Amino acid sequence: MLLRLQGAAMAAVLLAAPAAAQDAYTIGLTGALTGPPASTYAPAADALRLYVERLNAAGGIAGKKINLILQDDAAEPGKATANAKKLLAQDNVLLLLNASLSSTFAPVVAEAKRAGVPVLFASSVCPKEVYPPADPLQFCSTAFASTYDSRATLAFIKETAKEPVKIGFSAMAIPLSRAEMDFAEQQAPGLGMTVVGKEVIPPPTPDYTPFATKLKDAGANWVFSWAPWVTQVRTLEALRRLDWKGDYVAWAHIEAEGELARLKDGAFYVVGANALFQDRLPIHQEIAEAAKTAKLTYPIEQLTEGWIAGMVVEAALKATGWPASPEKLAAAMSTLKVDTKGLRGGPIEWTKDNHFRTRQYYRVYRWDSGKGAIQRVKDWTAFDVQ
Amino acid sequence: MQLAVNIVVLTAIYALIACGYVLIYRVSRVLNLAHGELLMLSAYLLLWTASLFAGHAIAAIAAALGLSLVVGAMVYLFLLRKLTGEMALAAVLTTVALGVLLRGVTVLLWSAQQQYPAVPLGLSNWAIALPGGARISLWAGLLVVTTLAVYASLFAFLRLGRWGMRMRAAGQNPLLAAQRGINLHAIYALAWSLSTLTGALAGVLIALDSGLGQTMAIIGLKAFPAALVGGLDSLAGALLGSAIVASAEVILIHHVDPLLSEVIPFLVLIVVLMLRPWGLLGTREELDRV
Repeated sequence: MLLRLQGAAMAAVLLAAPAAAQDAYTIGLTGALTGPPASTYAPAADALRLYVERLNAAGGIAGKKINLILQDDAAEPGKATANAKKLLAQDNVLLLLNASLSSTFAPVVAEAKRAGVPVLFASSVCPKEVYPPADPLQFCSTAFASTYDSRATLAFIKETAKEPVKIGFSAMAIPLSRAEMDFAEQQAPGLGMTVVGKEVIPPPTPDYTPFATKLKDAGANWVFSWAPWVTQVRTLEALRRLDWKGDYVAWAHIEAEGELARLKDGAFYVVGANALFQDRLPIHQEIAEAAKTAKLTYPIEQLTEGWIAGMVVEAALKATGWPASPEKLAAAMSTLKVDTKGLRGGPIEWTKDNHFRTRQYYRVYRWDSGKGAIQRVKDWTAFDVQ
Repeated sequence: MQLAVNIVVLTAIYALIACGYVLIYRVSRVLNLAHGELLMLSAYLLLWTASLFAGHAIAAIAAALGLSLVVGAMVYLFLLRKLTGEMALAAVLTTVALGVLLRGVTVLLWSAQQQYPAVPLGLSNWAIALPGGARISLWAGLLVVTTLAVYASLFAFLRLGRWGMRMRAAGQNPLLAAQRGINLHAIYALAWSLSTLTGALAGVLIALDSGLGQTMAIIGLKAFPAALVGGLDSLAGALLGSAIVASAEVILIHHVDPLLSEVIPFLVLIVVLMLRPWGLLGTREELDRV
């Protein structure tokens, strides 16, 4: 599928003639379609492409097709810069999407600002500029939210724990993950928890056991990890191999649903903002059927983030109307409300000052060994985004 | 006790990977900077053979290792053979390009998502209790045993085997070896095959232990300082270097700061290179020639 994805991207680049662009909404994405972190971003780009293809097949928006141009930056800032320049100057995109590491943000945003084109972070982490007071040109549809995720997770631990909480943290040695675990470390004592350790684990690590040994020896009965999936799950697996019996909470990245089923660990919880496919919503059925028809490589449960980005793009372009311009699009996005049909706990609502969302909703899942299925442990809990 | 087990496991990982660097360098004076990617490719090959031999784990693993032997030979025959006798730098740069190519190819063929070859093979990874309350995972334990077996076999092969002696001869003086009738291309192809095989063993066992993704290529590079510390042309040095780097890493993770694990291999490397630029057990003469 990735071959097709990149082939489609290449074809789109070659065929995106100026004349055609004038008759279509042209949008461009720079993303980590290859490279070490591609497992997080490539499925989202694939889902977005699928969503746009379906939209075009249904007649597009206001009778105009969407011309989606995908560019691979391999999570390298230099390539992301070149992609942004090309998409903005050559393809004249209305909207620039980023699905890559945060290290690519600065050059992409700088190029977009020069061109006056809005940037949508879709599956990449939301930068602080989308939170109130938001930058007029930066928007984010991605599920995870720094500080709010930790608040939700710590609140869940507090209400779930049956004995005094001795908590350990596991972060990847990248700025965002470390900052989030630092934040959680500061918050935990205020909730009556004792912080016993924090492991900042470099990527990549051949053996997670030395880090897990420290957390176990520190006496943690809960461990919270907010990091790329590989760090979260390998720390857990290393802890379990050391015969650690505590509870483990991690962020529900796109891999979470498949991994809960693989690990079958009843004391492993994932906190997330996207509804898992086990909830069997009509929209899940729609995604599954679309993915099956398109013969996507990635598991369907990894497509939610990209699908939501597609919903946001559709809503934004509908609100912009035709003819479209980056200015009109940015104005439309500043007051956008997107119904995610249950994929999130509520709509993605942007205001002039808040380009993240006005309310963030969380659900908690784990594996139910008795039923042999994923179990929803806690239903949507809302947090107002100030 | 767990600390000691952690050191042994990390030593085994680094040593099994590092011996691949040493084998090629010792014979052909080429630094194979695609070793990490070849290791990763072998692990992905296991994913492929696992789908071919579903439920037959031994057959799948054996097929993946066999394929890695072929891949190693093909890399030499189709890519590096023409560079024999040219500047070593050209060959090194070729391996860099090969690494980039392999990273792209693996994503295209197997996608970027995390993979777990143990799942289709129906293999578990239970923990084994050791004396002193320590524990080790099954695959980590097998990795330690495999590393010991690989080193013992390589020592025996290079000391006692006919082809091993030819490899040593080609490494020491290729011109003289060729004049004595040794087929240098066959020797170099064999070195690449064996190097890729040892890397494949590491890649396959790591993938069975903790899964497989694009970051595995970088794990291959993490063993490089261990090979340099021990001396790039010394197998015993690779073992010693791995033990030193792994010990320093695990002890500092446990007693000082986990973040040091990223820099400590290079700190050890700098210290060793300042004292013995050719590595702890490397040959001074050989390095001077480079």
